[in-house]
Amino acid sequence: MSEELPRAGAEAPGEILYSERWTIRGGDFDHGGEVAAAVKSTLRQFAVAPEVIRRLSIANFEAEMNVIMYAEEAVLELQVLPDRARVTLADRGQGIPDIGLAMQEGWSTATPEMRQRGFGAGLGLPNIRKNCDEFAIESTVGVGTTLRYGVRFPL
Amino acid sequence: MDQNEHTILFDAERCIGCVACSVACPTRAIRVRHSLARLKPELCIDCGACVEACAYEAARARTSSPSDLQRFRYRVAIPSLTLYAQFGRDVHPAQVLDALTRLGFESAYDLSWMSETLGQATDAWLTESRGPWPKISVTCPAIVRLIQIRYPELLPNLIPLESGRELAAKMLRRRLTAEHGLAPEDIGIFFVTPCTAIMNSILAPVGLDRSHFDGAFALNELYGPLLKAIKQGGPGDPDARISARGVMWALAGGMTAGMRNANTMTVHGMRDVQFVFDRIEAGKFQSVDFIEAWSCPDGCVSGGLTMEGRYAAQRAIQHLVKRLGEQDHPVKEEKVRAMLREHFFDLEEEIRARESRSAARDLREAIAWKKERAALLARLPRKDCAACGAPDCATLADDILRGEASLDDCVFLRIARLEGRGESEERKR
Repeated sequence: MSEELPRAGAEAPGEILYSERWTIRGGDFDHGGEVAAAVKSTLRQFAVAPEVIRRLSIANFEAEMNVIMYAEEAVLELQVLPDRARVTLADRGQGIPDIGLAMQEGWSTATPEMRQRGFGAGLGLPNIRKNCDEFAIESTVGVGTTLRYGVRFPL
Repeated sequence: MDQNEHTILFDAERCIGCVACSVACPTRAIRVRHSLARLKPELCIDCGACVEACAYEAARARTSSPSDLQRFRYRVAIPSLTLYAQFGRDVHPAQVLDALTRLGFESAYDLSWMSETLGQATDAWLTESRGPWPKISVTCPAIVRLIQIRYPELLPNLIPLESGRELAAKMLRRRLTAEHGLAPEDIGIFFVTPCTAIMNSILAPVGLDRSHFDGAFALNELYGPLLKAIKQGGPGDPDARISARGVMWALAGGMTAGMRNANTMTVHGMRDVQFVFDRIEAGKFQSVDFIEAWSCPDGCVSGGLTMEGRYAAQRAIQHLVKRLGEQDHPVKEEKVRAMLREHFFDLEEEIRARESRSAARDLREAIAWKKERAALLARLPRKDCAACGAPDCATLADDILRGEASLDDCVFLRIARLEGRGESEERKR
């Protein structure tokens, strides 16, 4: 099942100037947020506009915590194109049965334990979409979920 | 003021060229070359971690000296609230202030009331401000500088209200000018500082064109003479009233303890601060109104220029707060609101990002640099031994890229070359 949410030319092809990958492990709450911080540090070295970094970091943090809470393992790939930064996050995990539902604010399957840690408010995916210029999600139950989102550089 | 001016000095006579300071530095601002530690001014935030780490007293703070007092006709001291925690539980702040007047100051003023006033001003300001949230206090100068170089995205979160110490000095100069008929430049106002960060905020202020202080003395340098003066002196001004709420500011958590707003957080210690700031940048903690952040592990009582141990100092402050008891004269809310309307608390200047290292011209060049840096790092042993003088291999790679070091600085690579082994063999071993 998939849902494309076209927000400004989702599939703009372009030259990939740089790419880097990180692995995120499910259940690894102790290191939660480190990949998002590493991506941020990379983008900062590229002198990307603070606003772009801020928006993409919010998306990355949400996406990373989703993997930690629900999936087994994921690879996050950052691609830097001349006009945007894009992230593809492919996880191996339980998948999302109803993406439409998961995209609704406040809808969450978080366990009480996760909520105790301050997560599971049901704002993860909506928050990613809200902060990005492109967003696409694809999921197969029992296999995993692939997210693709990106933020354009200001002209 | 020159933001590249710093309080930390390295004494070439004492420095043995070990790398303790370089490794301890949270912003990787120190390199050891030819057995001498050197500061990269564009990266230093004057937190004082190097001063604490140095076992040879080679990393020192540049503070005022007694001769600086001679420049003024009328000399005043405003001590950090931490000073009240240095002499055990039985010494009252009034005795400490009195003792200062016997060390070359015409008078000494208490900071606790201004701290309480600023706490109330912060409360009032928060109710009327807009995002981004959470708001972050500017009281700890090392935190402000950390944000300038590492977290420029958080600059809009800083509360644009000046620190209590600067406000106290500003008010005092006005008062002394009016009451004693002195010219403002005849008055020398000196802070007694528990740390290098505040010292530097006086030397090279941020958010302010020129500090309201004329200098600062290191608390640990005044300690001996003060202790003697306290022992010889009397009970001090019996009418001296100290604000219990204000005194709490010497401790991490003390700012928020006296505030009405309960939706706050206290973060202390450089590591924890960076952990939290990373998350704020990622959009977390937006439901928090106010963050009190300190670079030192327990707030100012654990500053690098203090004498009393941090645990004993905490107990002394807590004891003092109990002893002062319930305040019968809290700072009046209407007065604080009037001062806010008059912009008394406002920062004079916007706090801007500090360009820490030369930036690439464009995205493509920046990416080329990053790839080059990664290639350099792959050739280095990644033991982070710091023997080259940079704190870790990644920093050495960065320095090589900037032409400030070479691969030959790495002892492992040098040994491999001397033994006629290739780098790749060395890497396998």
